[in-house]
Amino acid sequence: MEERGRVAGELERLIDGGTQHKCAVASQVPMPPPRNPRSAIHAKSPITKELGEEDVGMEEVSVAIDRRQPPWLNGVELLEDAKWNKHALPTGCKGIDILLGGGLREGQLTEIVGPSSSGKTQVCLHSALGVADLHLGVVLFLDTCNSFSPHRIAYMVNSQSDTLIKEGKEGRLKRIMSSILCHSVFDIFELLDVLHQIECKLKHQVKSSGNRIRLLIVDSISSLITPILGGKNSQGRLMMITTGILLKKIANEYNLSVLVTNHMVGGEGGSLKPALGESWKNIPHVRLALSRDQGSNVCNVSILKHTIIDESNTGIPSLIWRRHVASHLIPTNYLPPAHVSPSCSSSSPAVYLLPSSLASLSSPRS
Amino acid sequence: MSETSRFRSLEGGHGALKGAQTAWDMLSEEQMQKHITTGCEELDAILGGGIHCKEVTEVGGVPGIGKTQLGIQLAVNVQIPVECGGLGGKAIYIDTEGSFMVERAHQIAEGCISDLLDNTAHRLKDFPACPEILQPNSFLANIFYFRICSYTEQIATINYLEKFLEEQKDVKIIVVDSITFHFRQDFDDLALRTRVLGGMSLKLMRFAKKYSLAVVLLNQVTTKFVEGSFHLTLALGDTWSHACTNRIILYWNGNDRHAYIDKSPSLRSATAPFLITGKGIRNATSHCKRVRMM
Repeated sequence: MEERGRVAGELERLIDGGTQHKCAVASQVPMPPPRNPRSAIHAKSPITKELGEEDVGMEEVSVAIDRRQPPWLNGVELLEDAKWNKHALPTGCKGIDILLGGGLREGQLTEIVGPSSSGKTQVCLHSALGVADLHLGVVLFLDTCNSFSPHRIAYMVNSQSDTLIKEGKEGRLKRIMSSILCHSVFDIFELLDVLHQIECKLKHQVKSSGNRIRLLIVDSISSLITPILGGKNSQGRLMMITTGILLKKIANEYNLSVLVTNHMVGGEGGSLKPALGESWKNIPHVRLALSRDQGSNVCNVSILKHTIIDESNTGIPSLIWRRHVASHLIPTNYLPPAHVSPSCSSSSPAVYLLPSSLASLSSPRS
Repeated sequence: MSETSRFRSLEGGHGALKGAQTAWDMLSEEQMQKHITTGCEELDAILGGGIHCKEVTEVGGVPGIGKTQLGIQLAVNVQIPVECGGLGGKAIYIDTEGSFMVERAHQIAEGCISDLLDNTAHRLKDFPACPEILQPNSFLANIFYFRICSYTEQIATINYLEKFLEEQKDVKIIVVDSITFHFRQDFDDLALRTRVLGGMSLKLMRFAKKYSLAVVLLNQVTTKFVEGSFHLTLALGDTWSHACTNRIILYWNGNDRHAYIDKSPSLRSATAPFLITGKGIRNATSHCKRVRMM
């Protein structure tokens, strides 16, 4: 009994000391500071050695502690992880890939913001197509506004004129379309449930299976959050931040990239700003703003926020992505809502036109 | 939900996720899906065959352009029998403004039936039962009409629709005319309005997907003061503009009515003229022969 008491006290001290290494120093033989509580337990000499049969219990407890608190990594390990595990997934739109420095980075949450009909869903479909085409893995598309269009993806696949294809057109279409999974969610709780299912499945999955999820798209996350955000209590904001953190956690731990879309609302002075407010602003790693000029078929992309690239001084001209439409003038007696580009930092020099077909891109492995 | 039960729920579906479908399966399903014709061939052409099921389509325009006419026409056209190339389904018409005229619906049904009998006479020979089904009164009997007088009734009706759709399995279109009317006045708290409308649009999206039906929302236009001039935009603001899958704008071009595709995930932007006749929505004849593609 008193042995258990001693173990419990020891454990309590370890948990309280936590990351401060006080436990190791307390009253024992001085030893190098442990990297994590588990090694502290094993490095302990007198007390744990006496309690042979308690070691099994301590093992279980230390495993439980480890599961809650991931091990500490130093800078070198993080760099290795970034180099070998976190690649860039090409979106298929050359301009966006250049702007992002390779494409959508694994382990990061990328957000695309834009007014209505500016091309957000098209970018999502194109990215799904790009990732599926390069045999990178499975793409999971969570659709909240019934805008996933297999017909459109098939059109994009068939309109790409690649001369290097060995497989037939039909076979290629089937292969690409079979790697894109679509699931409809119409509720924030359904979304959280789906994300937990994905997490569970990924945790138990064999690491080297070919059906690894590589890209997770949520189009659009703002339509799930708008019904609950605001009001007297802050439950809505809580759910929003929980969802954001869960998405980032899944992206980081399982090395996949997450792409979400958001819409715009009116800000002060008539300019548009991204929806979901100030609390959401800091959640995505990368934020891109799309805008389409009135009556035009080209879209502008600019960076609102990025972890590495400085958005005020990218040195790359504002990039334009051509839509799959021919040009036409909108009738003058109907004018769609003015699409004003967001006023926050965007680079503005010359215009850079891109082909609409999938350009050949460098291998994602850096 | 414990981890073990979550893991068990992963069986079934695609294996990666319960309830997910591959794009390849969805493509085959989509190709077999019929569309609801609008009555005007050019308009059908730019819509890719007609109004799509499993999607929410918003139709906006100035007053008098023909939104209600289009709504009634779709509620009639959805009932075209399968043997004649239609869906053979029923319609739900939710009326918030009181603009549904039964006499006009009867007239449109008669026009639709007479065109069917003229155009597909050769097919009807094989189906002797058709003439009995093709009566204006039976068409009217298949339109379920809800009259709404306030926004609370509107919210309640949309909530009730789930149960209704479980009982009536062959409803293939829901027309809401108009979705914005009761939300434009008497709503002091705009943030609350945004939340309520967001919730309503999600529910409609869910019905469209779950019961494989088309949802058509008719919307009004309002003027917006931007950059020193007035623009016509759809009512209810920027957030509502993201609540639909497709958007069609009806407008006047001189003396002619035109329709323009404003938002769509899979259709090109294009315009088409149409005409409103005694029989309903029909092709525009004479000068506008060709669809202008954008």
